[in-house]
Amino acid sequence: MALPLSYSWRSLIARGTRTAFTVAVIALVVIATTLFWSLIGSLKRTLVSSGSPENLIVMRKGATNDGSSQLSLESLQAIRFFEGIARDAEGNPLISPELVVQPFFATADGGRENVLVRGVEPVALLVHDEVALVEGRMFNSSSGEAVVGRGVSRRYAGASLGSQLKFGRGTWKVVGILESGGSSFESEVWVDARELANDAKRTLPYSGFRVRVAPGTDMDALARRIDDDPRFALEATREIDYYESLSSSANTLYIIVIGLAVLAGIGAVFGATNTMYAAVQSRTSEIGTLRALGFSRASILFSFLSESVMTALFAFAVGAVGGWALGLFISWLLGGIAFGAATFTTNVIQLRVAPSDLLMPLALSVLIGVFGGLAPAARAARMRPVDALRKA
Amino acid sequence: MKYLPFILRNLGRNPLRSLLTASAIALAIALVCILRTMPAGMDAFLSAIASNTRISTHNEAGMVYAMPYSYLQKVRAVPGVVAAISWQWFGGAIDPAKGVEFPNFAVDPEDFGKVYEDWKIAPQALEDFRKYRDAAIVGRATLEKHDWKVGDTVTLQSTVFPLQLSFRIVGEVPNERASQFYFQREYLIQAFAAAGAPIDSTGMIWSRIDDPERVAPAMKQIDEMFRNGEAETTSETEKSFFGNFFGSLKGIVTIILIVAGIVTLCIVFIAANTASMSVRERVGEIAILKAIGFRKKTIFTTLLAEAVVLSTVAGAAGALISLGLTSLLRSSASGGGGPQLGPLTGFIVTDAILVQAIFISFFIGILSGWLPALGASRRSVAQTLREVF
Repeated sequence: MALPLSYSWRSLIARGTRTAFTVAVIALVVIATTLFWSLIGSLKRTLVSSGSPENLIVMRKGATNDGSSQLSLESLQAIRFFEGIARDAEGNPLISPELVVQPFFATADGGRENVLVRGVEPVALLVHDEVALVEGRMFNSSSGEAVVGRGVSRRYAGASLGSQLKFGRGTWKVVGILESGGSSFESEVWVDARELANDAKRTLPYSGFRVRVAPGTDMDALARRIDDDPRFALEATREIDYYESLSSSANTLYIIVIGLAVLAGIGAVFGATNTMYAAVQSRTSEIGTLRALGFSRASILFSFLSESVMTALFAFAVGAVGGWALGLFISWLLGGIAFGAATFTTNVIQLRVAPSDLLMPLALSVLIGVFGGLAPAARAARMRPVDALRKA
Repeated sequence: MKYLPFILRNLGRNPLRSLLTASAIALAIALVCILRTMPAGMDAFLSAIASNTRISTHNEAGMVYAMPYSYLQKVRAVPGVVAAISWQWFGGAIDPAKGVEFPNFAVDPEDFGKVYEDWKIAPQALEDFRKYRDAAIVGRATLEKHDWKVGDTVTLQSTVFPLQLSFRIVGEVPNERASQFYFQREYLIQAFAAAGAPIDSTGMIWSRIDDPERVAPAMKQIDEMFRNGEAETTSETEKSFFGNFFGSLKGIVTIILIVAGIVTLCIVFIAANTASMSVRERVGEIAILKAIGFRKKTIFTTLLAEAVVLSTVAGAAGALISLGLTSLLRSSASGGGGPQLGPLTGFIVTDAILVQAIFISFFIGILSGWLPALGASRRSVAQTLREVF
């Protein structure tokens, strides 16, 4: 016969202080791992959501990001009319030539960061169809106007709608705000490609081409055709793969967060074990009585184990709420977290604890509960009823 | 002191519990030490590598905006400038698929040793650096990570230019936080010329000023000199430059510090739980001690000392564990991190961090033992004895 679960949780309530301490320990471990885990999650979501599955990015062979690639006008002409590139209503190919530079922007607190400025032509909004102008209007070419991502407009001096924004050699008027569902385009500024090339004194006018592939076309075949063009050393990659590779910069953080989870998790297991041993010890006579009444060893083992797992699950709930609230607070406090100093582009991400970010902490707390309860529960189950009753 | 054996005996009464508590504290302290190396790495980088009398001059618009190479001669002529070199980002990678693993630059070898005088690079290395066209001077952190030695040949594929260059390592920057890789500008220029695309620009100019007093006037004069010129410049001290450069890491640093704080709080709870459990089990005994004449103060002190001894010893063990774990992290290929996190992933536990860890665990002992010890020492003897017996 099994002991009812209510026996387990009533026992937990009966020893309120001790349970509270253990809950606090596990909840803190959950908060710490949740914060780190969702930081990586937020960064990955920002970058991975940036690419479109129907787009290719074309860069110079060997360039790892479009900030370090230079392409000529001739190479654009060479691939512009390749078969397989989608066309607009007038029959113009949906290929967006873009120039990327990373000038300094002044942050609100007086620092400076490298922000990605993308020089584009009107076709850009058709190719990047996930990017939408939500306020104001698109810039007019050759008039010193710029549209800025939502993240940029919040973070930098002079980047709000209607303001004069200083970067590069000139001053630009902000005429529109871009949104793209939280992706990294919201950390960018878009201006006229030709104007940007003049401002940055770039001899080769482009960094990369974004290509919308026509429906039903073999993307890899088109990419190979671009790669194999002997006149220019070009390399085409799927846009989503490109952003995936950029997000690998967060992989160092994974090592840290897994180390954190393992070390803090083992520490919490020790703490929980202590509490459960004390629980078993103080209930020796009770266990003896239960055994004498005919409850099996297995049911005693299971009962103590569920007590420990219940504690851990309750702690997880407390920690998850705490981690979520702390994440919001930190995000609000810092106005977004910047990433990628040394790649010369700053991505501003908002720290958000997504449901999927809670799976790892949940697994961790269940493990803490099981491993913390295992040895004490086994001790309780091994007790001989005669000894247990006599000792009491 | 005469109570020490008593305290130790008490800790030994439930060896399993003491061991579990100590292990939990040790692991958590190790974790705090490792987390603390990240912000500490930033501070140490700024104080060990960066100097107040070395200034950087770069295009006002940003680091990817170039300056004419001729600016170098003009900077050299400014009063107070002892030596100056140009600095061109190469973005070289051992394996382009892995990206740039350490910063690498083309510099002018003649003045290199004078500009970075404080780094104490061996004179022989500097001489070879001037002599051989393909010579490279590499920071110790990078040498150790890739298991390179002086005399080795290394090939880097640029991720910025369509160039691949082979270098011979002739010396090191003798600092365990230095990861930079320097080679001759002339080598890069020749490679460009051979590829049919000569360049005449530079990304940055570094100069050393003879006297800290003259730093500000020199920076002002340099920037005035290039006002309305081909490229307007911003000059700043090396400390300020790297402070700005890594400024965007501030958000991550804040989160790391918060997490370290949470882990510390965790230790307090683990230790307090143990202290309160052991006091609760001993109420009868404590009442007897009081009944036979031990003072409140003595009882309070011995109970508190028990918690403090446990947590301090565990904290010291944790500090040692962190030394072992960080050396593992540093030697593992992926652990050193890319340049994305910059000086945060040096993972060097400094003496200051070790000392702090032991202090933290000492205070955790006091914090966790205080209330249980106070409660036990204040409890009325008569009532306790009545309850227990």
